[in-house]
Amino acid sequence: MRRLFVGVLLATMPLAIFADATSTRFQITFSIEDIQSPVFSAKGIQLKVSGKKLSQLSLQISEVVVREQTWRDLKMTCDHFKLTGSLVDCTSGVLQLPNTELLPVVFRYSFLENVFNFAMKPMANEHWQFSMHWIEDAWRNKLNITNGQLARIAQWLPKMEIIPVPSKGTVNGIAKLSGNAEGATDVEIALLVDALDFSDSSGLHAGEGVNAVINMNAKHSSIDNRWQWRSDINWQNGGVFWQPLYLIGRGHRLDLEGVTSEGTINLHRGALSFVDIGTFEFSGVMARQNNELVDFKLNTNSLELSVLFNQIINPYLGNTAFADMQVTGKSKVAWRYRQGVSESFEISLYDVSVVDQRKRFVFNRVNARVPWHKENATIADISFLNARVLQIPMGATRVALEINDNDLRIPQLVLPVLDGTLELENFRAARQIDGWYWQFSAELLPVSMEKLTEALQIQSMHGTLSGIIPEVNYKQSTVAIDGELSFNVFDGEVIARQLKLIDPLGFAPHLQVDLSMHNLDLDLLTRTFSFGNMLGRIDMEMKGVELSNWQPIKFDAHLYSSSGTYPRRISQAAIQSISALGGAGAAAAIQRSFLHFFDEFSYSKIGWRCALRNNVCRMGGIEPDDQTGKLKGYAIVESGGIPAITVIGYNRDVSWHELINRLKRITEGGSPIIQ
Amino acid sequence: MSNQIFRLMLLLFFAMVSQASFASGNIEIDTPAISQIEKSMQQRYSQLVPFYTSGAVGFTQDGLIAMHDANAVSLAERQMVNSLIAAENQDRNSLYLEIARANNNLAWEVEIRHTFGQRWIKLAKLGWWYQATNGGWVQK
Repeated sequence: MRRLFVGVLLATMPLAIFADATSTRFQITFSIEDIQSPVFSAKGIQLKVSGKKLSQLSLQISEVVVREQTWRDLKMTCDHFKLTGSLVDCTSGVLQLPNTELLPVVFRYSFLENVFNFAMKPMANEHWQFSMHWIEDAWRNKLNITNGQLARIAQWLPKMEIIPVPSKGTVNGIAKLSGNAEGATDVEIALLVDALDFSDSSGLHAGEGVNAVINMNAKHSSIDNRWQWRSDINWQNGGVFWQPLYLIGRGHRLDLEGVTSEGTINLHRGALSFVDIGTFEFSGVMARQNNELVDFKLNTNSLELSVLFNQIINPYLGNTAFADMQVTGKSKVAWRYRQGVSESFEISLYDVSVVDQRKRFVFNRVNARVPWHKENATIADISFLNARVLQIPMGATRVALEINDNDLRIPQLVLPVLDGTLELENFRAARQIDGWYWQFSAELLPVSMEKLTEALQIQSMHGTLSGIIPEVNYKQSTVAIDGELSFNVFDGEVIARQLKLIDPLGFAPHLQVDLSMHNLDLDLLTRTFSFGNMLGRIDMEMKGVELSNWQPIKFDAHLYSSSGTYPRRISQAAIQSISALGGAGAAAAIQRSFLHFFDEFSYSKIGWRCALRNNVCRMGGIEPDDQTGKLKGYAIVESGGIPAITVIGYNRDVSWHELINRLKRITEGGSPIIQ
Repeated sequence: MSNQIFRLMLLLFFAMVSQASFASGNIEIDTPAISQIEKSMQQRYSQLVPFYTSGAVGFTQDGLIAMHDANAVSLAERQMVNSLIAAENQDRNSLYLEIARANNNLAWEVEIRHTFGQRWIKLAKLGWWYQATNGGWVQK
């Protein structure tokens, strides 16, 4: 540096000096077309010293390039300039950088002391002081900043949309850089950033009121040509939004320590500590040639999951079914990445609770240790105290999950469901190209319908639910059950077949099923739903049942009297209920005056049909629809015995919502509307 | 008041889309899931209006919404706006899929999404932002 400065000065001065013969005024002008160095390059440098006793300096540089950043038209003038054989001194100068205000500067270069000092004081309390000192080949640089306005740095930097730039805040501190003829050997930085505001042009990476302490030092070893460094950042205050995260500084720390050599960056020790969450400790190696991670090791202490999930994980789940979860408890994570691939991963959960705000699932007191290894099979131990999935409660469960790379297996699992159990066998899950796939076979041992209906918050029913399921599989967001689920209700049997649940945890789950009901006891059924008493037995076929968001949108239902011999009686209240279901257009083929004399009647057959499409139920009776259009009504109750009753429905199409409302009014004990 | 405006927009929307013809699909079809999604969108609409008005959020060509100018929102609110956008887009994606499903033709989902995208932009108020076909943002 010294050689360059002195050499250039001495070489050009004799050529440029000219004297004004009539006065003591001289003007020295010299130009350098181009300076190239590994660190920077400059073009079009023109230095002019003029005035009385050469007391005025003017320096212009048309272009300076440092790495990929370019500054143009840099100017500096000095009105109190002194040039002697041992000193270059400016006590009142002005520096003008592109797009910035004029900056008052002073500088002094002592040939005897080998010291160069440069100071800039843009405002009364703002001071940037740079000094450079060298003895033989050893040199030492120091930058002292007092109340440095960070917005000023943004003015100096070329505008780049994607890089966040500071708009407010101050920096205080010292940066030291020293070295020798071979280059830098020591770096020491200690900065205090206060009330920093920054943002990129999109506002997706921004901070406000950030206070941080930054310390960094590095030492170069010439023996093996490597830098040994360590740094720590303590983020004390202020908020940062880094799409999609928003974090507030509360004393979070990042400590790093490592070695950089020609080919690699070796992070010996890293620790990221989030107050209220915990500490992530890591180390690793990165190849400098392609900036690729070669090795990495991560371990955490006990992490507070509620804060970790809310602040760091959840913002990434915005477009998934898990965005509305609340997670509490503790967790530990360990990850090993070696030679460019993940080698092992382990997550442990301690008393974790997972609650879906949309009430689709809840898991309480989950404890787990889930290890995974690329080469070896492992066994995860997972347990929970209780759970609730789609409103169905489950009891304490412990699972041994076999993990073999991406293949998960549970040979056998007993899951307490309500007062029964679901015994799963041969559970297998694997990740495929189009997402997760899993399957299992199961047997549902009797669950009481009373408990089930209570859990589902629907009309209480008696009986049991059980079934053997040869296969349940999940693929492309669809759970399909191959086999039959059998419900024993109302002293009869309900069989569910072709059960398919599409997007079960999505925003609009769809259920498809075929239902066959046999020999249901009408007495139990009508008592349960307060419909008006009926004696008899019924069968019902419901084909192509489709539920959207748990509401029916499509089915073909046919209810009819079961075969066999049994009492067939219908009460006056039940007749009124059936009539009410028909609405204004339905009429009971009875005489009201006659009705007064009897509480119940005999019948031979009952039949009712409903084809639900587009929210309209097309109703029919005992016989299939008359396609000729000759018959105006359809028989719902056909007479038989004494006193006999026949109920004819005339209303073919009823809005499903209206039908449900009528049914609610009837079963909730409200007065049926009979016309 | 905002809910009324949303209802009016929805009414206008269906009046307009009912004239659209794509393979005879019924875009006005109603199912419990569609009603549920519309109700959810309706409840969120009043929360989104200030961000449509400030230009923070705009309409995209594919029938969704996106952050247009995060600077129009205070730093602390940006994550909340992100969540609103994510929730709204989940509803919108579900809505398009449900209409296609209710029409028994999942392949129509793309066209339904496109039709909705165009109409949402057409119904946007003056001053609101939308994404043009070239991907650039335009103020209405």
